[in-house]
Amino acid sequence: MTALTVLAPVTGTVVDVSEVDDPVFSAGLVGPGLAIEPDGVRGGEAVAPITGTIVKLHPHAFVVQHEDGRAVLVHLGIDTVRLGGEGFTTHASEGDVVRRGTVLVTWDPAAVRDGGRSAVCPVVALEATPDAVDRLAQVGTMVEHGEDLLTWG
Amino acid sequence: MSKAQQILDALGGDDNIVDLEPCITRLRVEVEDPAKVNDAGLTAAGAIAVVRSGIAIQVIVGPEADTLASDIEDLR
Repeated sequence: MTALTVLAPVTGTVVDVSEVDDPVFSAGLVGPGLAIEPDGVRGGEAVAPITGTIVKLHPHAFVVQHEDGRAVLVHLGIDTVRLGGEGFTTHASEGDVVRRGTVLVTWDPAAVRDGGRSAVCPVVALEATPDAVDRLAQVGTMVEHGEDLLTWG
Repeated sequence: MSKAQQILDALGGDDNIVDLEPCITRLRVEVEDPAKVNDAGLTAAGAIAVVRSGIAIQVIVGPEADTLASDIEDLR
């Protein structure tokens, strides 16, 4: 299978998913990946990590599926479903075909943190085996949205 | 039996469900009595995992959570 490069969806610091305070992500139950602790000021634009179809779009999370079937999940913060979309603005619709790097959601990570929730953003290669995914950014480093994060091949 | 029906049954049936909402990869369920939830039944129905915290049960099902939740709602 051709290697698929997954871009960082938000600007922030790369975090190991095992550090994410949610068992679904930390244990890789839906797939392997990395997480990004978004920058409070510049982390508010979430972009498509790959080119493909938006198969799921919630205010706080989305899934983009490549034409070969591989799909990447981006979750903006933990337990943010509880916010009911407040503070999140979507800029696309389910079914849209988008190019990687397109802004899909704008939000305010600092406000999520002020509300007592984690703003960390898991980026998951859905249903991939752990050895299919390699990191292109190191844990603890800063990435800009649109920079390479993972390779899935 | 449909997957939705199997999950509904393993959650203890309609009467045991206080609230059920999907979130991308999981069903977040609040139940009346957690003892009536059958973890083995949920995994047999295709759940990847079950995460419990008191009356809050998370059934990890993958990206089909939205579809499953609406199928379950239709059965209730």
